[in-house]
Amino acid sequence: MASEEKTREILKAIQDAVVGYDEETCERLCSSVLEEGIDPHRAVVEGLTGGMERVGELYNSQEYFVPELLLCADALNAGLNVLKPHLKIEDAARKGKLLIGVVEGDIHDIGKNLVRIMFEAAGWDVYDLGNNVKIERFVEEQKKANTDIVALSALMTTSMLAMPKIIGALKAQNPGVKVLVGGAPLSQEIAQRYGADAYAPDAVAAVKRAADLIG
Amino acid sequence: MKLKQDRMSSAERIDSLFNYRRPDHVPITMIAPTFSCRNAGLPVRVAYSDPQLNFYAMQWAAEQYAWDQAPQIVRHTVVEAMDFGGDVRLPEGEYEGALMVKSYPVKSESDVEGLKMPEPDKTGMIGIAAELGRLQEAHGLPVTFVSRSPFTIASNVCGLQQFCKWLIKKPELCERLMKAAFDHTFNVLRYWADTFGAEKIFVFMSSPSESNQVISPKQFEKFALPYHLLYHERLKALGIKRFYFHVCGEQNLNLPSLADAPPWEHPAILSFGHEVDLETAAQRFPKDIICGNIEPAIIQTGSPQQVYELARTTLEKGKGIPGGFILSAGCELPVASPAANVFAITKAVDDFGWYAE
Repeated sequence: MASEEKTREILKAIQDAVVGYDEETCERLCSSVLEEGIDPHRAVVEGLTGGMERVGELYNSQEYFVPELLLCADALNAGLNVLKPHLKIEDAARKGKLLIGVVEGDIHDIGKNLVRIMFEAAGWDVYDLGNNVKIERFVEEQKKANTDIVALSALMTTSMLAMPKIIGALKAQNPGVKVLVGGAPLSQEIAQRYGADAYAPDAVAAVKRAADLIG
Repeated sequence: MKLKQDRMSSAERIDSLFNYRRPDHVPITMIAPTFSCRNAGLPVRVAYSDPQLNFYAMQWAAEQYAWDQAPQIVRHTVVEAMDFGGDVRLPEGEYEGALMVKSYPVKSESDVEGLKMPEPDKTGMIGIAAELGRLQEAHGLPVTFVSRSPFTIASNVCGLQQFCKWLIKKPELCERLMKAAFDHTFNVLRYWADTFGAEKIFVFMSSPSESNQVISPKQFEKFALPYHLLYHERLKALGIKRFYFHVCGEQNLNLPSLADAPPWEHPAILSFGHEVDLETAAQRFPKDIICGNIEPAIIQTGSPQQVYELARTTLEKGKGIPGGFILSAGCELPVASPAANVFAITKAVDDFGWYAE
C-alpha cells in the first residue's frame, strides 16, 4: 500500500502525463497505481479527470487547440483502459447519461468527438451514435438508454436544419429530456429558435451547460 | 436585376476594384453553386454532376439577386479525398449540401508512403469542372479554379482528426501529404492554364482546416503558412493574376503572421467569416479588396428584416475600406436560405451601397 505522499505523487504524475499527452507514461503510471494498491477510482478522478480538467483550462486560455486535445484524450484513454477493469460497481456512480451524435447529412465529427471526450473525462456515461445520424435513431436510442441529455452537433448550415425536427421528436417522446446543441453555424439565438435547452460554443462549455441542465 | 442607379456593368465594377477605383456601388458576390441549384428548383447534387444545369442556375441567381460574379465561384476543381482515390458520393436527401466522404484515401501511416499522384486531366471531377470552365469562357466570365489550401487538402485526404494528431506526433507525414496536395494542385492548375490560358483564370482558395477553431497560430505558421508563400511563387510563375482567398472561419490569431508578408499579388480579394471584424481585416490587409462577412446561419434562419439590417451594418463598416469592399456572406451561402433573405442583401446595397459619381 502506497503512502499518501507517494499516492499524491503518482496521481500528479498521471495528471502531467495527460496534460503532456504522453500515452505510454500514462499507461505505465496507471499500472503502477494497481501495483501500489492505490484506489483505482481515486486515480481516475484525481489523476485522469484532474488532468483533463487542466487540459480544458489550457484550451480555454488558447494554449491548447484541437491537436493537443485529441492527444490528451488518447493519453487519458490509455490510462482508463488499465484502470477500468478494476473499478468497483459502486465507483461507477456517474454524473449523468448523455446521448451524442452528428445530425443527418453531416460527416464532420471532430467537434462531436471532442465533446464526447470531455464528457467521458468528467464522469458521464456517453452513448455515441457517430455521424450522419437519422432523426429516428436519436429518438430510438434516447428511449433505449434513457439518457438525461441528448447532444446534437452540426457543422453545415444544411444539416443544422435537421435539429429542430430532432428536438421536436425527442420532446414528443420524452418531454423531460434535455437537448444541448453545438457546432460552427449554431448560436444561442438559433438554439432557442430550434427549441434546444442549451447551446455550447465548445467542448469545455458543453460539460458545464449539461451539468447546469440536470442540476 | 439591375439596381436603381447602375452606372457600370458587373465586369467593370470588379475591374474598377482591381484598379483601386471606386465602383458605382458596393459589389455583391456569393459562394453559391448549391444555393443556385435549389433556387432554380434543382437538386443540390447538380452542383457536382451537371455543369450545364449548374452554370445556368448560377447565371439566373446572379441576375435575380444582382450579384457580381467576381469570379463565379463553382464547386471544387481539386476534389481532395476523391482525387487521391477516396470513396466519395454526391449529396442526397434533405440535409446534405456537400460531397460525402465514405472513406479517406489515407487511413494509416503506410498509406502515406503509397499515395499515388492523380493524373491532372483525369482526376476526380475534372471533366465536369472543365466543361463548366468552357461555359464560363464562352460567356466572357473568368474561368475559375477552385481549391482549398494545401494544408486543408492534406487534412481532407487522411481526415482532419488523424491529421491533427500527426501534426504533433508525426509531422513528417503531414509534410508529405501537404507536398502531395500542393503538387497535385499545381499539376491541375498547369493543365487549367494550358487549356484556358493563364490570363483567363481566377484562382479561388479557401482554408477551413487552418481555422483557430482547429489549430493554433503557431501550427498555422509552422505548417500552413510556408505553403501559402510557395503557392503564390508558383502562381506568379504561371502568370495568373487574380486571386480570391476565403479565410474561412475563426482565423483572428492567424492574421498577424499572414499579414506580415502577404504573399499574393495586390490587390487580391480576401473574404472573411463573420468571426473576423472587417475593420481589423482592412487594417491588416490595406492593399487588398476586403469581402464579407454576413453570418450565413442568420441568412438561413433569420427574418428578411434581420438580414437587411445585418447587411446594412456590414455595408456601413465595409463601404469606406480604402482597398475596396465587396459585400458577401461570411462563407458559402446556405442552400436553404429563403429567397426574401437573399434579396434583403441586394436591397441593402441598393439602399445604402452607392458611391458618389
